[in-house]
Amino acid sequence: MEIPYTVKPRPDTGLYNAKLGIWLFLASEVMLFGALFSSYVLLRVGAEPGTWSMGLMDLLVGAGNTMVLIASSMFVVLAWAELKQGNLAGYKKWKWATIACAVLFLFVKWGYEWPSKFKHYDVWLNNATVLQEKFDEGYHEVASHGEHGDAAHGADVEKYVKKIYTTRFFKEESKDSQLAFDDAWRNGTLALSGHINAYEEAQIDVRITGWKADAGVSEDAADEALVKQLAKQDTEDAAGLRLNGGYLREKTDYDTAKRAEYALGQAGFTVALSVAGYKRVEAHPWMWRTKRVTEDIGGKPRVSSIVFELDDSHHKGIITLNAGDIKRLSAYEPKHSTFFGIYYTITGLHAAHVFGGILIMLYNMLPIGLGLWHRDREQFTNRIESFGLFWHFVDLVWIFLFPILYIL
Amino acid sequence: MSDSHDSPTIPNLIKKFYFVGGVLVIGTIITFVIDIMFALPLALAAVLGLLIALVKASFVVAIFMHYKWDKKLIWITWTMVLTFFFFAGMMGLIMWAEGDVPKLDSALAISTGTNEMPTIWIILASLLGVALPASFTVFTVKMLSQPAPVEAAAPKARRTAKKKS
Repeated sequence: MEIPYTVKPRPDTGLYNAKLGIWLFLASEVMLFGALFSSYVLLRVGAEPGTWSMGLMDLLVGAGNTMVLIASSMFVVLAWAELKQGNLAGYKKWKWATIACAVLFLFVKWGYEWPSKFKHYDVWLNNATVLQEKFDEGYHEVASHGEHGDAAHGADVEKYVKKIYTTRFFKEESKDSQLAFDDAWRNGTLALSGHINAYEEAQIDVRITGWKADAGVSEDAADEALVKQLAKQDTEDAAGLRLNGGYLREKTDYDTAKRAEYALGQAGFTVALSVAGYKRVEAHPWMWRTKRVTEDIGGKPRVSSIVFELDDSHHKGIITLNAGDIKRLSAYEPKHSTFFGIYYTITGLHAAHVFGGILIMLYNMLPIGLGLWHRDREQFTNRIESFGLFWHFVDLVWIFLFPILYIL
Repeated sequence: MSDSHDSPTIPNLIKKFYFVGGVLVIGTIITFVIDIMFALPLALAAVLGLLIALVKASFVVAIFMHYKWDKKLIWITWTMVLTFFFFAGMMGLIMWAEGDVPKLDSALAISTGTNEMPTIWIILASLLGVALPASFTVFTVKMLSQPAPVEAAAPKARRTAKKKS
């Protein structure tokens, strides 16, 4: 079937069909993004002072990405202008430039901005006393290392924390920010923000304490399940363990222990996990949640303590936090707060549009897409124009997102 | 070539594209500089930031999306304008319900002697809500109910080409 009005405008609408279609699509997109924008605005104005953490955004990165998207929006319209003049080589040149900009945009967003947030934490402590003690402790720890010993003291660390708090929620220091900070400091609701440099991870002993013959699992099947969980897969050991109990594994890691506990539970065994000791791990873990640290294993936490480096403290504010003192811990992921929830929703939807745009552009650069150029130049030009309309819209969304997310 | 534009020649257009590109870059730089140089109260920053964004957006729509030469898009314009009013009305109502932003209570109390929202406002806002889907429906029905006209009826002849530099 031939599609009508791919080149000539349809008399009653005055537009070729694809253009009308893409504009209608954009009208629906306006409503989609409009709903999210209005949600953002309402959440923003409804937020209590000291809860909207937009000060965390890196303005320079945001502005840079805006420039990249503006450039891509220009290139895409220049590519269309080249086609209008019958210049396919010129089209390809500008189109590749557009694709390069789009890829750069996504790379900055998905390769830098988001991942760096997933490694960045807020920690809330159980009470104000713990919080205040930690500052002295931070001082002692740094002082004992001998570095910056004379420069750093408890008040300094407090200063860093205050600076972070102020830029984050209020941007500038003011009476309001001072009041809010004092309040948070006194009642212990202040979150420490920074990176986890290292942590003490539990080494777990897995012990078999019994086996229920009436659980509906045959002895052979139970032994088989047991063998699978043994470090050395020996059948002789299995029967002994089933009858007498004993250690299945010693000082193993959490995942192995939990897997064994589950599989053996299914086979009728009762299994006890206990923490034999802690091993220090030097790493910057991603997307940890409170439970990842405080989960109870035979009466002890999975992570006994974390070494936490406060933001902007230039290695001076390094403190050790015990699992027992931590009320909540969260990376800057969507569940962190309302701000991050809506931030990831909106930028994620926008990034998905950019990603889709890249796929369409690639299609229009490949022989399969370019075939249309050789069959019908005007239709191909119109197709590129329609895509351009979509791409400008994506740019438009970002033009509004930039001030809203990075500045307000 | 195609189409419904009485658009300027391509080289002329390309010049405009570069101009708009410049406007967008400068707009971004202004936003950036204002943010780091001045500590503005949130409301002012919001108005200023969104105003600059609005100017940038208008240039993109008018020139990059050559809306300026696609006057035939009047139906879509109409739909978008209605969308905007609907959106603004809805936001206004919700913010009012929020109770604090914007603070219109006292002004309302002085002018009407009551804190209640006048019923007519609610009716008008609801009508806007009806008008939007209705305009879509009318438009779609209008489009689909007509048989595709015969080729000969080219509308372009009716229009005199306006000169745009």
